[in-house]
Amino acid sequence: MMGLQIFTNSLAHFLAGVLLLCAFALLSQRRLAAMITLVQAEALVLSAAAFWQGLVQGSDGLFLTGIITLCIKGFLLPIALRRITRQFNLIRAVETVMPVGLSMIIGVGLIGIAVMVVLPGSAGTVTLTHEDLAIALSVVLLGLLVMTTRRNALSQVIGFLSTENGLVLAAIGMPGMPFVVELSVALLVLLALLVVGVFVFQLREHFETLDLSGIEAIERRGR
Amino acid sequence: MVGLPGRGMHLGIDPLSALFLCLLAPQVVAAAVAVERKSVTFWVFVLGMVLALVAADSFALILGFELMSAASWLLVLRGDRRPDGRPPATLYAGVALFSAACLIPAVFLPAGGIAFVLLLLGAGAKAGLAPLHSWLPRAHPAPSAGVSAVMSGGMVSVALYVIIRYAFIVFGNAAEPWWGTVLMAVGAASVLIGALRCLLEVELKTVLACSTVEHMGLIAVGLGVALRARAMDDPALASLALQAALLCAVAHALFKPLLFLGAGAVHHATGTTSLDWLGGLMRCMPRLGVLMLVGAAGMAALPLGPGFAPEFLLLHAVIAAAGSGGVMAWIGFAALFGILGLSAALALAAGVRVIGFGFLGRPRSLHAAAAEEADRLTLIGMGILAVCCVLVALTPGLLLRAMAPVISEAVPGALPQALAYAPLPLALLMAVLAAVAFVALRRFGARGEREVPAWNGGFGKPPVWLPFGDPATQPIASGFAEPVRRVLGPALLGRAGLDPGERYILAPLSRLHLRLTRLAELVRRATIRQRLAFVFGALVMFLLALGLGQNG
Repeated sequence: MMGLQIFTNSLAHFLAGVLLLCAFALLSQRRLAAMITLVQAEALVLSAAAFWQGLVQGSDGLFLTGIITLCIKGFLLPIALRRITRQFNLIRAVETVMPVGLSMIIGVGLIGIAVMVVLPGSAGTVTLTHEDLAIALSVVLLGLLVMTTRRNALSQVIGFLSTENGLVLAAIGMPGMPFVVELSVALLVLLALLVVGVFVFQLREHFETLDLSGIEAIERRGR
Repeated sequence: MVGLPGRGMHLGIDPLSALFLCLLAPQVVAAAVAVERKSVTFWVFVLGMVLALVAADSFALILGFELMSAASWLLVLRGDRRPDGRPPATLYAGVALFSAACLIPAVFLPAGGIAFVLLLLGAGAKAGLAPLHSWLPRAHPAPSAGVSAVMSGGMVSVALYVIIRYAFIVFGNAAEPWWGTVLMAVGAASVLIGALRCLLEVELKTVLACSTVEHMGLIAVGLGVALRARAMDDPALASLALQAALLCAVAHALFKPLLFLGAGAVHHATGTTSLDWLGGLMRCMPRLGVLMLVGAAGMAALPLGPGFAPEFLLLHAVIAAAGSGGVMAWIGFAALFGILGLSAALALAAGVRVIGFGFLGRPRSLHAAAAEEADRLTLIGMGILAVCCVLVALTPGLLLRAMAPVISEAVPGALPQALAYAPLPLALLMAVLAAVAFVALRRFGARGEREVPAWNGGFGKPPVWLPFGDPATQPIASGFAEPVRRVLGPALLGRAGLDPGERYILAPLSRLHLRLTRLAELVRRATIRQRLAFVFGALVMFLLALGLGQNG
């Protein structure tokens, strides 16, 4: 029994760690196609984590969560994003605001902060959910960092998706988390995708590019 | 009933508020008769002042005070002519807000040093005490004459009333000697800067507003001496100084509205109040000229005028206070005495300048030459104030005796001092002497007529193409003030000739405002990504603080 418990937790931690690795790799990628692939990988790992948690906790809601994650974020969204990139011929490199190396250093700092916040100073009281939570918070912060360091609208969407993955990871790690939250979060992501899609088409129509730096220049001049 | 929820508003009249109500009454009547009968805002303004004076709890007092501020702001806004392109109404609103922000905590705090300092900042800003005085010479001349009169005579008195009410009566038992010292220092600075600017300014209404700053300073010095003596258990000195301050407040509340109403009449008749463009008004407006003479005698603190007795008492109090401490007190009070003497001389010069350049000599412009006598109602309003002025000037002793309950309310165990100055017998004696001289001259003087060349009255030598003299060859008001500007200007006003209150308070505030505006503009112009980064940075900072707080 004890051995099964340890195995359960280490598998959950392993999946969370893979997710964190994907989120971290997201920072280092300049190309949109690679970023989409990484987000897809994140979603697959997340759904696997959800299935495992559902099995361990014996909760059907988590299976549903995993299925939704797998369908929407694992297949639907990446396919839609790939279509957009193909349509706008965006497979080339994305422009980053700060050097990739610097953003990765900041990312390491963010993970440190997340660990410092969630894990209490006295090591004796560390529980396993705490460690899960630390990883989830790191993923959220890394996603936000991606959103702030990229100029391209699509890569900001990808950063948002990564942030959302971190939130879901936190939710499935907590036993007894209500399923409704997960559903609403998924719907929210869809909604955001719709808005961004419309926004992207508008941009394309007006400026023939998806690069936001042109809009920033106009904002600076115009206001 | 208005007031704090569950507790009504308390009104009541004690000797102190009765004194200030009496002091408010003549100027309101005069201003109403002269100009402002129909203005609703004016009456709201008066209502606010009366409410502040009759309030018996802090809430009612603040309500009245702020009503007064708001109504007077409207009046300044309406009369705002912006002679130099800067909006005094905005400056005035800023000062009023600052004053409220200091005064409201002050009256609800427990008695102590912090409450006193806040009180002094709040009410002092409203009364125009240095270093927060520089709004007053801009804002007081802006509205119409009647409002200027009541602002300069009544509103500042209400601010003084608040200082007296709280410093002496409410916080009285917690008073410490340094409170008085602070009040004296503030007063001395106002006296000096007010008197100097009073002599240097060219616009008549601005001159009068600067004189208000000076008189507020005199009153503050008196209150400071009284407060210090009270905290040091010297009721005799405290009552002497308080007598000086209150008498000064009474005199100021009579002659300053008189002068402001006169300045309004001059503006109405000539279209300008610049002393450099006036002159010879005594010939076209003789009644107004005589009334202004009464007011200017008060402003200049001439003997037999209303302003002399308070200055006399104040100097007595300062001399008496000099022996009340160590060697520092000697030095400090000697310096204070010097400042008071200097400012009395400057005020005298300013009074002479107002009459000599505005009303004597020959007209310096066609408008001044064509001036007509002010209308009857203005003269009646000014006449009321002038009669009060003369009464106060001739019977200060009686007035002091009537003030005895106020003194003993503010200073427990007060010993009202007799005034060693009796203007009424003095005036009678002088009248008798003049009559005797007149009779003797008629009786024994030389008969017959003799022709002598006329004294040219200060005119320069006329150029050959103007054989009868050109009014423009007269000295002008700015030229009269020039020697003083040369001597005292660089030391007190700096090289640019700016008021220190503007240079060290308003200008830095304006720069700060510019910087904050730029910062706000930067935030407003930020792109989506910059805003995201800002929020993200704030989140990370928060988490960092949280983590450090947990582990530290």
